[in-house]
Amino acid sequence: MSLLTEDRRPGLAAPGTAHRPRRAPRAPWLMVAPSLTVIAVVTLAPIVLLAFVSFTTYDQRSLFTGIYDWAGIDQYTQLLQDSAFWAATVRTFLFTAALVAGSVVIGAFFAYLLTRLGTVVRTILTVSLVLAWAMPTVASSVVWNWLFQPGYGVANWLLTKLMIFGDLTDTNWSNDKWLAFVVIWLLIVWQAVPFIALTLYAALTQIPAEMTEAARIDGAGEWRTWWSITMPILKPTFLLVTILSVIWDFNVFNQIWLVSGGGPGDSTSTLGVYAYKTAFVGFHVGQGAAIALVTTVLLAAVSWMYVKQLVRSGESL
Amino acid sequence: MSRRGTISRTGGPWVSAVALLLALFWVFPVYWMLNTALKPRKDVMSATPKFFPGPPSLDNFRTALTQTNFAGDLRNSVIVVGATVLVSLGLGLFAAAALTRFTFRGRRTIMISILVVQMVPPSALLIPTFLVFNKIGLLGTYLGLVLAYLALVLPFSIWVMRGFFLAVPVEVEEAGRLDGASQWQILTKILFPLVVPGAVATSIFTFITAWNDYLIAYTFMQDQNRYTLPVWLASFTTPDKGTDFASQMAASVLFSLPVVIFFLFLQRRLVSGMSAGAVKG
Repeated sequence: MSLLTEDRRPGLAAPGTAHRPRRAPRAPWLMVAPSLTVIAVVTLAPIVLLAFVSFTTYDQRSLFTGIYDWAGIDQYTQLLQDSAFWAATVRTFLFTAALVAGSVVIGAFFAYLLTRLGTVVRTILTVSLVLAWAMPTVASSVVWNWLFQPGYGVANWLLTKLMIFGDLTDTNWSNDKWLAFVVIWLLIVWQAVPFIALTLYAALTQIPAEMTEAARIDGAGEWRTWWSITMPILKPTFLLVTILSVIWDFNVFNQIWLVSGGGPGDSTSTLGVYAYKTAFVGFHVGQGAAIALVTTVLLAAVSWMYVKQLVRSGESL
Repeated sequence: MSRRGTISRTGGPWVSAVALLLALFWVFPVYWMLNTALKPRKDVMSATPKFFPGPPSLDNFRTALTQTNFAGDLRNSVIVVGATVLVSLGLGLFAAAALTRFTFRGRRTIMISILVVQMVPPSALLIPTFLVFNKIGLLGTYLGLVLAYLALVLPFSIWVMRGFFLAVPVEVEEAGRLDGASQWQILTKILFPLVVPGAVATSIFTFITAWNDYLIAYTFMQDQNRYTLPVWLASFTTPDKGTDFASQMAASVLFSLPVVIFFLFLQRRLVSGMSAGAVKG
């Protein structure tokens, strides 16, 4: 596989172009060296250290004394026997799946809707989406806590008025395992939909009208046209937003931390939250490092798919 | 323009009605934040919510700004975010220029490494960086936080700016060379000015990432005088006293404002830019 082939386009720094030899080969290295040094120090070195620490018993005392023991492979055999770790892993996969499914399906529906609207309504919907998307996650999380505040939350009030779920005025959402998940799911999906919707909409507007018109003339209905014409063309974009969503949702931290703190107990702790709590609340730093490393490796497979997809769609980069 | 030669035929009024309902649903949390921020405190904590505010009151903003360490925390944020943006812009410009305007051994390897490094989740860097900073005394310092942020933004900056350099035709450089410009002059007088729009867009990405970060600042800056604004915003909630929602919503408005303005400006670019390699959500 030839990676990054787009660099060979005419007009770019093609090897053997007549004027190249005038350039000192040192220049480009001098120009990338500072960046490479910084990246090596702040990214590569920490990853190596993470792997090292994950084999030690580094804990709170070690932070002050610098003394720790080598745990070796025991760290990982213990982790694999830890039911809380397995619970967090399963939870992370299920929650990620629920988030990705929710945001991609709703996002696709919004994208379709946007193509069917007049200018005014489309602008209103787009601005609403961009506002939701633009909110920093810390801000949206504290707003969510306020919306779902027991006693005073407007969501509690509205849901009570609906008279479907009974009196929810004093419901403490973050104190119940399932309700906490529902609230966090709503928050993350609410903020994930705009990017997906607008990206898919942008792709939709690139499809020539003739193609769908032709399908309609051949007697295809709205649904059939979408499945047979639109979807196949949108497939690469769908794949891209799905992969990105998996990466983002797998890594979600702020929203869980600020809404439920991973609780009640550990019941909303995904792997990221579980690693954080282990390392920085319980100060079992070595064990936390092992969890973080496992998380990174699990994610690496998805990330690799993303890199490949990105390189494949190289021309548009 | 109701049609752009797309698949669309504009739907009937019910389609618009559904869209408006969804728009209302999506914008409501933002509206409720503003609405709460502008309400008198006594109306905030009321059993029956007031959906339409009376005359707006700025009391909550006053409380948020004066009863907290807002000025100090804003200063911390501006210093750290500013330094992150400037350093990553400076380093990124040269790196992106080198990777697009020169051919040299190892270039491909560097580019793939940058792409791969960008995939490392921030949570994986948190523990080891914390340990090293603890050891060498960078924990709780501006320099430490800037270095941690560079890990998040630099690979991405290089990758995105590379795209902007690729868009500049090589003839522009050749014209400069024929006029006798030196390599340095071609770079700084011809190439850099041409990628200014791209550099600005990239810097806004960098700004937003660093401005919004809660996890790293919360973990590294444990001294209250070194809090940045996201930590300030979250710290309106304290376990013992409960949350002062009225001023927290005002604070939330203030904190989100610069980001929202940038988003509205850059919305189109963000759609293509994010799918082209922004991985840090």
